[in-house]
Amino acid sequence: MSGDVNRQLSHMSEASSCYSDGNSSEDMDEDIDQYYMDTTDDLDLDCPSKTDDPEYFEYEPLQVMDAERLLNEEIEALCTKLKVSPSMAKMLLLRHNWQKEEIIENYQKDPSGFLIDSHLTSRRKHDNLIGPRPMCSVCCVNYPRDRFHGVTCGHMFCQDCWDMHFQTQIQDGITTAIECMAKECPVLVTEDFVCEVLTQPKLRDKYSKFSFNDLIKSHPKLRFCPGVDCAVIIKAKESKAKKVECQTCKASFCFRCGISYHAPTECDVIKRWLTKCEDDSETANYISAHTKDCPRCHVCIEKNGGCNHMQCPECKYDFCWMCLGDWKSHGSEYYECSRYKENPNIANESVHVQAREALKKYLFYYERWENHAKSLQLEETTTSKITTRTQEKVMNNQGTWIDWQYLLRAAALLKKCRYTLQYTYPYAYYMDKGSRKVLFEYQQAQLEAEVENLSWKVERAEITDRGDLENQMDVAEKRRQTLLKDFLEV
Amino acid sequence: MANIAEQRIKREFKEVVKSDEVSAFNIKVELVNDTFTELRGEIAGPPDTAYEGGKFKLEIKIPETYPFNPPQVKFVTKIWHPNISSVTGAICLDILKDQWAAAMTLRTVLLSLQALLAAAEPDDPQDAVVAQQFKENNPIFQRTARHWTCAYAGGPKSDKELEEKVVSMKNMGFDEHKARVALSTKDWDVTRAAEYLIS
Repeated sequence: MSGDVNRQLSHMSEASSCYSDGNSSEDMDEDIDQYYMDTTDDLDLDCPSKTDDPEYFEYEPLQVMDAERLLNEEIEALCTKLKVSPSMAKMLLLRHNWQKEEIIENYQKDPSGFLIDSHLTSRRKHDNLIGPRPMCSVCCVNYPRDRFHGVTCGHMFCQDCWDMHFQTQIQDGITTAIECMAKECPVLVTEDFVCEVLTQPKLRDKYSKFSFNDLIKSHPKLRFCPGVDCAVIIKAKESKAKKVECQTCKASFCFRCGISYHAPTECDVIKRWLTKCEDDSETANYISAHTKDCPRCHVCIEKNGGCNHMQCPECKYDFCWMCLGDWKSHGSEYYECSRYKENPNIANESVHVQAREALKKYLFYYERWENHAKSLQLEETTTSKITTRTQEKVMNNQGTWIDWQYLLRAAALLKKCRYTLQYTYPYAYYMDKGSRKVLFEYQQAQLEAEVENLSWKVERAEITDRGDLENQMDVAEKRRQTLLKDFLEV
Repeated sequence: MANIAEQRIKREFKEVVKSDEVSAFNIKVELVNDTFTELRGEIAGPPDTAYEGGKFKLEIKIPETYPFNPPQVKFVTKIWHPNISSVTGAICLDILKDQWAAAMTLRTVLLSLQALLAAAEPDDPQDAVVAQQFKENNPIFQRTARHWTCAYAGGPKSDKELEEKVVSMKNMGFDEHKARVALSTKDWDVTRAAEYLIS
């Protein structure tokens, strides 16, 4: 068991480079093992240094068992502190997002008031049973009193009805939110009562599985890995919109919202953007076609690589795929292609013109967003081409495998930079006009220019000098870091 | 049909029939078949509302898992209300969905529906067109709802102007109900309603 944990931890240090201090000899051994085991992971560029990387994030993967143990420890601690049952403590933590200090403080101030607010008891104890053989108000059958049960609110119903109630709720996926059956009674049913009443063992398993999901979802420091069929739970020190890469299934996602990582854009903004894209994509797709004519000789050009610096195969004219302008003007200071120019007189225009302008603005950002997404796909083929070419070269005794690794590193870095660049467009779309936007768009333009330069060089890697390429890599990554440092909300 | 469900419905049926609300002609429940899976309900439009004087028929279906799941209820009588579809009669009401409790009865459902007629919740609409009119042009909404109550629920005749508009469109060759829907949707502008029907 301890061996397992060790492996996980050292694996984790690969992902976030923060866990092992590297002091003990045991750690050293593990590191050496790791070095020989993970040859391909050498290419992993996602090992940000702790000191000044805006994307740095500490996290570790947990198995279901570990997560359960962790939750149980927290539940037990609260039990002892408040002297309540484990089921009660579990509900309190779940309903208050595991804010233990807050729960203890509020409970000690006013125990019954706090439990009422938490829907764990009611203001007055109800008594709905009349006579020695009362009628259950759900099934309308009379039973002796000992057949009746209830939770803290005092509403009593017969055992069979509770059983049916739990069955129906669990079938609908409701577990930790099962309420009392009485009309307008919000009191929740705790785990101990559910398990005592439930007759089918299958449903008891279902209950514990679903309620475990609820517990994890309510915990700010734990996240299910969104990867397909991946059972890993990620644990982080704090709930932040940072990048997590699951070592088991390789899924990468934002820790806070669970969707694809989206720096520098924030969680709610990216959600708005993605919904908008879903709604409007038909129009956008129609407008942004896959081919364009060369602006000089008008020959039809299909884009088959990721780089947006295009060269017409006929007339050799260098132009930008996005704006069709001369590439020369995309030097660095004059790179304007990523900046949307708003109509300055828009406020005085009619509603119709404003709507057209709004669509135009959206399309501007959407086209660039979509275009970088497509470039990312196309650059995947470049990477596989590089791999094949490297193998050929090594076979022909033109250098060793290690000699050519820098090419794969360049391709991986290009991917990372372009990914961030793609996610700068939703950010810019929702930004208010002003000096901050000007600065953002300046940095975005700088990043875009360097990403395209890098892409150009990676696609022509064999005729590009290694020093030149590595220099370009450094410049592009610096631009990315600068932008994130200034704009990624931490 | 499950034993509990049948037991409950029989019991509830008696409860409603004996209740004060029935004697005051406020609510009514009838059996449609012998198996207790389908019932017909009726509620009276609450006083001092646009539905006053109308009788609204409801289709009530009892699921196998009743009372652990809510009955399925919809309006048979056409009605102009933000939380009820003017096309299908489907109802948006919390106690018919997640706020249902097993101890609730048909009587509580019918009384809640009556309360819904008296107090619409336009921010949680079932019919977006009606909800928008409710919020943006409430006087027109009130007149339209009253007109529908008269036309479909046997409410008192009131608004000559609206009736005449429906008749004029009927004379143009449109189906009466379709004409009423179009006029109601287009705030009783005959030209726009006709355009809406033609397009």
